[in-house]
Amino acid sequence: METSLHRDAGFWVMIAIGLALLVAGPLVWDLFQIMQITQYVVLSVYVLSLSYIWGFGGILSFGQAAFFGLGAYTFSVASINMGETTFPFLLAFGLPALFGAALGYFMFYGKLSDVYMGVVTMVVTLIFWKLINHTAGPEYAIGDARLGGFNGIPSVPVLNVPGKPEAWLDPGQMFQVFMAILVILYIVLRTLIASDFGRVSLGIRENETRAALLGYDVRRHKVIVFAIGAGIAGMAGGMWATYQTFVDPNVFSLEMSAKALIWTMAGGVGTLAGPIIAVVVLQYLSLKLGEMHVLNNNFILGGIMMVLVLLVPKGGLPTLRDALVALKARTPAALQR
Amino acid sequence: MDYTVIVILEILRAISWLVILAAGLAIIFGMMKVINFAHGEFLMLGGYITIMSHNAGVPLWISIAVLAPLTVGLFGILVERLVIRHLYGRIIDSLLATWGLSLLMIGGVTMVFGNTVQGVSTPLGSIAIGAYQVPGYNLLLIVVAALLMAAIWALLRYTSAGLIARATMQNPDMAETLGVRTSWVYMATFGLGSAVTGLAGGLLAPLTGVAPSMGVNFVAQSFITVITGGASMIAGTLSAGTLLGTISQGVTFATGPVWGDAALLLAALVLLRVLPQGITGRIFRKSL
Amino acid sequence: MSEPTPILTTEKLVMQFGGVTAVDHVDFSLNPGELRCLLGPNGAGKSTFFKCLTGQLKPTSGTIRLNGQDITGWETHAIVNLGVGIKTQVPNLFDGLSAYENIRMAARRRHLKPMAKERAEEMLEKCGITHLARREVGLLAHGQRQLVELATVLAPAPALVLLDEPAAGMTGAERDRLADLVLETARRAAVVVVEHDMAFIRRIAKFTTVFNRGAIFREAMIGDIMTDRAVQEIYLGKQADVAA
Repeated sequence: METSLHRDAGFWVMIAIGLALLVAGPLVWDLFQIMQITQYVVLSVYVLSLSYIWGFGGILSFGQAAFFGLGAYTFSVASINMGETTFPFLLAFGLPALFGAALGYFMFYGKLSDVYMGVVTMVVTLIFWKLINHTAGPEYAIGDARLGGFNGIPSVPVLNVPGKPEAWLDPGQMFQVFMAILVILYIVLRTLIASDFGRVSLGIRENETRAALLGYDVRRHKVIVFAIGAGIAGMAGGMWATYQTFVDPNVFSLEMSAKALIWTMAGGVGTLAGPIIAVVVLQYLSLKLGEMHVLNNNFILGGIMMVLVLLVPKGGLPTLRDALVALKARTPAALQR
Repeated sequence: MDYTVIVILEILRAISWLVILAAGLAIIFGMMKVINFAHGEFLMLGGYITIMSHNAGVPLWISIAVLAPLTVGLFGILVERLVIRHLYGRIIDSLLATWGLSLLMIGGVTMVFGNTVQGVSTPLGSIAIGAYQVPGYNLLLIVVAALLMAAIWALLRYTSAGLIARATMQNPDMAETLGVRTSWVYMATFGLGSAVTGLAGGLLAPLTGVAPSMGVNFVAQSFITVITGGASMIAGTLSAGTLLGTISQGVTFATGPVWGDAALLLAALVLLRVLPQGITGRIFRKSL
Repeated sequence: MSEPTPILTTEKLVMQFGGVTAVDHVDFSLNPGELRCLLGPNGAGKSTFFKCLTGQLKPTSGTIRLNGQDITGWETHAIVNLGVGIKTQVPNLFDGLSAYENIRMAARRRHLKPMAKERAEEMLEKCGITHLARREVGLLAHGQRQLVELATVLAPAPALVLLDEPAAGMTGAERDRLADLVLETARRAAVVVVEHDMAFIRRIAKFTTVFNRGAIFREAMIGDIMTDRAVQEIYLGKQADVAA
């Protein structure tokens, strides 16, 4: 239960795997594989935004795609206008975080119930999706960037070396930068969760009343956690836009929100490693299934979601862990009782 | 003068539209405190049934008023037995499961019918009011909304099934001790809510045509109406429908339809900041 | 002899739910360092009154003052941060965390890290639950949970302690320990205890406030309360006879 971070083997294993991939990846993979795996890395950053706030803050957001999309568009518009990508990348974190704080203010200071929160976060995503779809006309432009409605924004700049707008990263370098971001994010989140702030989050997840009775401002705390999650999702959106060099309203789609939920559920709520593994496994599976052209992608997603809720409510990693523990401890546990 | 009438009719139509869209959802939410995230796909299903059966030769009104509600109602009962029933008391999980169902239905219908829009022409022509033409179908929507609310009210107020429903809504444990099979009440509620949603989908079909992902365009309004209204089925839907319908129509007059939904959400957020349980959480609390 | 300045007062405090008035114009005053028990039959309004004090309910009208400051309608955490420790009727603990973690989080609100650890260990010992430190509190027995919660309440060394039915579900030995703890706490802080358990009350009570029908019915030393006919009557539900 109470484990200090530096004694947790899993923590070091995850970092070691990340660093090993970062160094070795570009040497052993071909271009197509690098592109594919970069996508998993971006989506892993995205899923962590939800895994953190849900698993370690008790906040269930049905609308992470709102922040993901906001980050993607923020990055695209800002980098097209500024001709470099470093500041836009920071903005892709900052603006969604601010928006998350504002939305969180309404939800948490209004003390909305879970159902209401779920509906509100989902509807926010839908409205972004609708609004951005209606921006096809030339009058919808921010500076040099035309929003383009359902066609999206083409030719989003590739990430450049900070301070050198002409020094674009090649796919291998971009993979390494993104992998580094993922590793750093993992370390930051784990540290945050182990900190006093993180313990208060856990406390709020366990029992809001007691947290308030200890003198912690539950509402403010939740707004901060929610805003951090929004910022991370936004940053992932920015990474997505520059990875694809293109952004369209699908970043705001309900499928995008649903995917974050599915990966988190599949990996297990209350872990960070599980959802990352789920991203890789499920994205790979849906790619393979999609190639067969038998089943529709939404059909697969929806099916997985229902199976997870009904049959594996705890999620993949914790269920596996419990199964292993039960297997190991079966006889002694029986004797103990 | 004529213009005033037109504006009033337009506002009434917007209100009626929200009421029709949200009524089925509100029935389920009022009784079970669960939001059916597949609401949009239940609408879509109602629409498809209408178009398909009409294309097969069934008169349009029969398709809308009988076949769509019946089929979607039965489908709702099936969903309740297979999915929702296992998730009582796990509200978040039932939201997630119905969201999964929503994606599953979009995918399933796409696989069967393809990702294309199909439609029928809107019946009833138009009626002249002074120098303006009003589509007759709009007037029909206003009438249907009023009848629908009246029918649900009468059902709850005057029938023994309605009494059982009201008792379960107030206090499910107490109802259970009085011999009410709450599990059946929930099944019937979900079926009825789905049937009403099926009717809404049927009414929608001639207006917008049908496509697998059409639900997305309507769920935002439906959800906002229900959570703004709160737990009372009729008072909640009517009060929230009136408030939000007026706001969205006003904004639409002023800026065009794009911002209508965004205005709805903003209004709902501000309202929920003050009344976290929705309008009927504080006002009209004892009403149906 | 001048009156000491009270630490906690309420003036004309009213709490209504719909048509029911659960707390009816209550004027209450508590001196620093005082131990006060609130008694009364079920539905007398003690718990509602208590919840108004803790910010869990927003009173319909009237004022609550803490050290002279108007705290009416404040959020719970803000009241707590003025140095109030609260134990609610239903134990409120972080069920997924260990007893030590629960108490440490409480202490951490006031103390720096090393101090918080020390303080948490001290509280575990004081409440006699050191052996439960590593156990997940969700799995503890009811009485043990009560003690853990008391430790979290006392860990930040509050100047005012509010306890709602702390002895509920406790075994005899646990109750005795609790009584000692409450008495010891009362040497350094003002304490308000809402309780039903008469054996427990007898061990700790001094000056006592009796609630009935949302209002203060009697305020007197416990000895006088115990022998008061009218108080006995309301506990037995015979108000009609008293009136007659």
